Formats: sequence, structure tokens, C-alpha cells
Amino acid sequence: MVYAKRDEKDATNIRTELEDHLLQKISDLEAKGCSHTDAVFQAIEDHGHPRTVGHGLRKRFPWVDVRTHGTARGFIAIGPKAIGVFAIGGAALGLFAFGGCAVGVFTLGGFALALLLSFGGFSAALFGIAYGGFALGLVAIGGFTCGIVAIGGFAIGLWVPHGSKAISYFTSETVPVYLRYFGGLLANKHSLMVFWGVFIAMLAIVLPIQGLLTNKEYQRIKRADPKLVE
Amino acid sequence: MSRLRKQTLDGKVETMLLSVLEDGPSYGYAIIQELGQRAEGIVQLGEGTVYPVLHRLEEKNLLTSSWRKAGNQRQRKYYRLTRKGRKVLAENRLQWELLSRVMEKMLGPGTAVLPQPKPQGARI
Repeated sequence: MVYAKRDEKDATNIRTELEDHLLQKISDLEAKGCSHTDAVFQAIEDHGHPRTVGHGLRKRFPWVDVRTHGTARGFIAIGPKAIGVFAIGGAALGLFAFGGCAVGVFTLGGFALALLLSFGGFSAALFGIAYGGFALGLVAIGGFTCGIVAIGGFAIGLWVPHGSKAISYFTSETVPVYLRYFGGLLANKHSLMVFWGVFIAMLAIVLPIQGLLTNKEYQRIKRADPKLVE
Repeated sequence: MSRLRKQTLDGKVETMLLSVLEDGPSYGYAIIQELGQRAEGIVQLGEGTVYPVLHRLEEKNLLTSSWRKAGNQRQRKYYRLTRKGRKVLAENRLQWELLSRVMEKMLGPGTAVLPQPKPQGARI
């Protein structure tokens, strides 16, 4: 029940139900000729790891789901793998996804794939702005960039306002006005500082939250039964 | 030996549980045994799969539950179908029959060699 995170009444009912199941199974195994010890061992082994059983008994999509193993699912999901509106994890999928590998509408991560806004080492935004070491998107800002508007150290795009090395379809004489204006809006020092600042701020908020809540969950399980923690 | 893939079973476990309870109220352990017998060992659903689904069906009001005394004065939870559960089962049964008919026309009858039943089947 430690892993199931149910209220006391639910937890008691589930415990009673599963206890009846195990005792019935032990009784049936003994009737088939197993010794009591073997029957108990077999019943517990067939039941599965407490974490697997407990996670299976969690509410389907709670407001907050924090796990130390497996996939967390909830409005706010935090875990090694996470799926939710706000998903934080090694692999994260959600509206706002943060993690080593993050996929969603707004993402931040080592590998970040987004519809609208992505920050990351490798960053791709299908219909929006990608900011990262390697950036791919409608607007790409970073070290190596590729997009309709590309700004960076090595940039490839329809229009490259700034770049140490640039491959640009349009030149400053032929670029359409709207692209020149848009590129100018994003390529100035102030805008780049804002992007950098947002990136650092998101890291500064998300990483401690993930660390704190994951550690809190780990300590909760350890307090309940130290033997459950591997 | 062919095994039933987990993806094939996805979404079908609820219907399987509802069909077992169509005959009358039952409890978790007996439901799992009955499922194993009906599946003829091709697939064996474990308690880790069955109990979460039973609770989910109860939350959806497809099942209702009550406690009764079992042997040795143990408390035992019995599940039974609600009217809504019977309706959903009937709809799922119709959907399955339609699907089976279509697939048989697509694939042809009796082309697969079914695995022989065995006591311990693929455990999900």
C-alpha cells in the first residue's frame, strides 16, 4: 500500500482483499501437495513485486504523481519516465515537458522536441522557436541552427540575420520585409539575453522541484519499510 | 509456440472480466481462476493485472462490490455486474462479433494453427 498511495479506508479494503487472495492461493497450493513454506513462497512470488502491484493500484490520473521507478502519470508527473500536463523526468511527454528527453508543446531538455518552443542541447520546434546547441525549427537560435529564420554560429536558413558562417537563401537586399523585421526582433542582443535568461530560470525552477519531490517520495517509502527501498 | 501479444489484449481485459461476472457474483481469486480456465492456458492474467482493472470497473460503476464472510471468518470482496456493466458487456460483445466476422473474411477461416492448451500459459 505504500506504493499505491491510497487513503486509509481504501488501503485497508485493498489490503483485506489481497490478503484473502493470498491465503486462498496458499490453501489451494497446499491442497495440491505443496508444503506450507513452498505454498507461501509461490503465492508471494506469483503476486509480484510490491512496487508493481502498488503502482498498478494507484489512481489513474491524479493531480500529482511522483514515482521513483517506472512511468509517472498525472496532471503533474515526476519520475524516471513521466506523462502528464507538466511532465518532469528522464523521459518526459506532456504539454510542458522537462527532462533528458522531452517531447511536448513546450519543452526543455537535453533532447527537446516541441510543437511551439524548445530549449535544449538538441532542440527542435516544429512550428515555433528552437533554442539550443543544435537547433531546428521555424525559428532556430543557437550554435548550429537550421530554420526559416536561423541565428547562430553556423546557420542555415531562408534568412540568416546573423551568423559566423551562414548559408542564407535571402541576402540583406532581397529578404522580404516581414522576415527582416522578424529576424531583427529575435537577433538582437536583448532578445538573445531574454531567451538565455528564460532557459536558466526554467532549469533553476524545474531541477530542484524534481529533486525535492523525488527525494520526498523515496524517503516516504523508506520510512514505511526500509526493506522496500533497493 | 505462439503467444498472445500484450498489444492484442489491450482493451480486452475489461470485457473478459465483465463476461466472467455475467454468470453471477464472484471474488478476485475465483475470477482469475475462471479466466485461466476459459482462456485454456493461452493467456493467464495475473493478480497484478486483474485487481487494478476490477477496481477501475467499480469506479466506472460497471461493477459493484460487497463484503461477505469466507472460510476461517475471512472477509471476502465479491463483485457483481451492474445494469450499466451488462449494457457495456452487450455492446462489447456485439463489437467483437462484428470484428471477428470482418477478420474472418479478410484472413479466411481456419488458416492459423492454434497453440495447444497448456497449464501455465503466457502470464500478463
